[in-house]
Amino acid sequence: MPSAKPRLFQNGRIASTASPELRAADVLVDGNGVIVAIGEGLSAPEDAELIDCSGCVLVPGMFDLHVHAREPGQEHKETLATCAAAALRGGVTGVVLMPDAAPPIDSGPLVKSAMDLVSELSPIPMHQSGCLTKGREGKEMAAFSGMASRGVPLLTDADRPVPCPDLMRRCMEYARDFDLLVASHTDTPALSKAGAVNEGNVSYRFGLPGIPAISQEIAIDRDIRVAQHTGARLHLQQISTARGLKSVQIAKEAGTLVTCEVSPHHLVLTEQDLRDYNTHFKFNPPLRPAADVEALVAGFIDGSIDVLASDHAPHTEFEKSSDFGSAPFGAAGLETAVPVIHDRFIRAGVFGWDLLIERYSAAPRRLAGFAPVAIAEGEKAEFFVFDPESETPVTRETMKTKSPVTPFLGKTLAGRVCGTALGGEWYGQG
Amino acid sequence: MNEPRDIEEILNPEAIAEGVGELARQIAYRCGGDEVAFVGIHTRGVTLARRVAAALEGHGLRYPVGTLDVSLYRDDFDRRGPDLPSLAGSDVPFSLDGIRVVLFDEVIYTGRTIRAALDGLMDYGRPAKIELAVLVDRGHREIPIQPDYVAKTLGTTREQHVKVRFQEDDGEEGVSLETPHKSTAA
Amino acid sequence: MSELKPRKDLLDIEGLELPEIEHVLSNAVPFKQLFQRSVKKVPALRGKTVLNLFYEPSTRTSSSFEVAANRLSADVTNFTVSSSSVVKGESLLDTIETLQAMRSDYIVIRHQAAGVPDIVAKHTGASVVNAGDGYHAHPTQALLDAMTFREVHPDYEGRKVVIVGDILHSRVARSTSTLFNKLGIEVAVLGPGTLVPGGRHDFMKRLRSWDEVFDWKPDAVYLLRVQLERQEGQFFPGIAEYHKMYGVNTQRLARMRQLGAYLMHPGPVNRGVEITDEAMRYERSLINTQVENGIAVRMAVLHWLQPETDTN
Repeated sequence: MPSAKPRLFQNGRIASTASPELRAADVLVDGNGVIVAIGEGLSAPEDAELIDCSGCVLVPGMFDLHVHAREPGQEHKETLATCAAAALRGGVTGVVLMPDAAPPIDSGPLVKSAMDLVSELSPIPMHQSGCLTKGREGKEMAAFSGMASRGVPLLTDADRPVPCPDLMRRCMEYARDFDLLVASHTDTPALSKAGAVNEGNVSYRFGLPGIPAISQEIAIDRDIRVAQHTGARLHLQQISTARGLKSVQIAKEAGTLVTCEVSPHHLVLTEQDLRDYNTHFKFNPPLRPAADVEALVAGFIDGSIDVLASDHAPHTEFEKSSDFGSAPFGAAGLETAVPVIHDRFIRAGVFGWDLLIERYSAAPRRLAGFAPVAIAEGEKAEFFVFDPESETPVTRETMKTKSPVTPFLGKTLAGRVCGTALGGEWYGQG
Repeated sequence: MNEPRDIEEILNPEAIAEGVGELARQIAYRCGGDEVAFVGIHTRGVTLARRVAAALEGHGLRYPVGTLDVSLYRDDFDRRGPDLPSLAGSDVPFSLDGIRVVLFDEVIYTGRTIRAALDGLMDYGRPAKIELAVLVDRGHREIPIQPDYVAKTLGTTREQHVKVRFQEDDGEEGVSLETPHKSTAA
Repeated sequence: MSELKPRKDLLDIEGLELPEIEHVLSNAVPFKQLFQRSVKKVPALRGKTVLNLFYEPSTRTSSSFEVAANRLSADVTNFTVSSSSVVKGESLLDTIETLQAMRSDYIVIRHQAAGVPDIVAKHTGASVVNAGDGYHAHPTQALLDAMTFREVHPDYEGRKVVIVGDILHSRVARSTSTLFNKLGIEVAVLGPGTLVPGGRHDFMKRLRSWDEVFDWKPDAVYLLRVQLERQEGQFFPGIAEYHKMYGVNTQRLARMRQLGAYLMHPGPVNRGVEITDEAMRYERSLINTQVENGIAVRMAVLHWLQPETDTN
């Protein structure tokens, strides 16, 4: 039974992983939210809503492998509803939720209750991941089987490494039997300590405790070796240095089952962008020197980096208004990811939509165990309309997240998500 | 200070020299053999004090000259503009206690500078008497302070500006009265 | 009169322009002359209030600012937050609100976290003077060091100063070397590899031993205070070894005397660590002059800054 009006998306150009070329075509979505026709000059059914996509690109919905929605437990920062609104404004139609809720999602029942909340509160699919260790404390293994049976896409201690190599080994050995993906926040706490920014000239100039690159690189090497030893599938979250990436490349050449992700901010910002102790630029891992950023961009293009993931980590402006050392790590990223990448790379011709769709839509879905989405006849409608000639102002007023804290605040990014189609729904962005 | 103005020369170098001589005569007459010290207010008050002291040396009277920077004693600190005061510092290398002090400034106007100078002077000791000598008294006092020795009294309006130039400080010599062109906007 | 942009806060040395530095250093001279009078006070800041806000105990710096403010006739309120009740970063904004209500014209702040004075400055019309924040900056220390060095070396340009000790964690080293560089004074550092910043810092020449120091012929040796509580065991093997490697002992003092090098130290001195007892009596020690100049420089700074509290 059709639940909505049919919609005809007219005069747009369709992007896909198949080619950097865009295909000019109309797209007709029926009342059940299924793409029923694609072609030039399609005639609209009588009751159809017409959506003018002249000059716009139709892009398959993005999928974000690294999102902190903060609900349950920290609803003052973000809720499932505001998180979903932010995702839709950013053209993201599916996310993996980090398990660092309060309480941490470290058992089957907690996964179930989290997913119940999602189905009640979120208009987009959100997939709850589970903890590697009980309470994310890095001491004992969490109950994998219950979480596996509830369909967690991956296990991670979210922003915390598993400090003990033996425990990490046991987690991987155990996860392997469930064919669960182990996602690792690579850091060596004994090295990063109370660090706040990349260790180097910038940390020295600001007098802030530094986080040395080796803090992440040693952890990457360790986890790769453990993965090689155990045969588990390893996903490295938020890699940030050239040397860390090199380790991944070497491991991949050796046939290791390892993948990795990078965030938009690590692709477009360097440590030099930190000004005036602006805590919106405080990330873990921290922003790195330009040479690292260049290597990450190259790895993003050549495929040694598999996935783009926003690490959407909202904190209230109040929380971020403390001194740089005390302020929490992270910022909102869901609604700026696509405009940022478009602004910096696609518009400049560095790469095309096909690459972004692969890294931010297809690959993360495959990693999480889902089929990639495409704009094709017979498929469910799951795409967004992007106007490259328009722009995205990043302001407190325009942001949909509950915590408009981002390094891009105050900037205007080239290109804009005009709206997102998800099944029979159309989420137009004013 | 860039608005158009009329400039009228009031005293030429000769007239200034006469004024200095006049001040020296008055002071010699009234101070005579007392123990006297001069203190000049930065910058041109110091020059004036030195010139008068030099003139008196001809009469066999030797008075030491100290300098006083009144910036730190002014009452208009909050109203200072973008020009920040560079402090010249004060130099009073003798005791003021129990002696007769003659304070010098080139022009007396509202009297506020002198008030600040008196505060500053007192911080250096307790003179028996303090007197004031000026080259030009242009009127418009805002507080009850009057000079004891005046070389030239000048009737002015508040809009006018009396500008003293000394060879030592300005590289030229003269006193002018500057009158800004009437602005219709009040 | 010097044409300077009005400046509200003094947060670090990096942001200062040379004319501003000259203005403060030259005004500090007449302030210092006041100390020779029996009445050391001037009414310049009468009716103004200075809040001394110290989150980290420091009797010396706090007292120095207090004396400076008193000598300008400002009213001083001392507000020391004991380290046991260290205010959590998150409540900083609340603290600022409270400070605003006190309507201070000047806030002198020391905090263990870098950048706190910047945050306070952004949220208040009062002039904020950074009296030391974390490892970041200690601008008035740098200014008093420059004043002290220029007194003994009026021809300071091209002269050389070696800073010895924990360069990495020292806000004094950071601010003073930055200022000295701006003034054309060459700076080199000597310290254990664990306490000298890695990476490239072009403005700092690294020396590796006292022999190298003396070959370099510094005009002054600037010893940093060793933070004993923080570092022993972690950054160098022990006090004895530190003293042996980096302290000024009798032999090194003799070589300094040969060179005519001055001795500087921000205080308080750890005797027997950075320096032997004997060196404390070194005729070219500027340590006490630094203290005296500290007051003069802080008076010049308070006199220079322009709070935005006067207008509504």
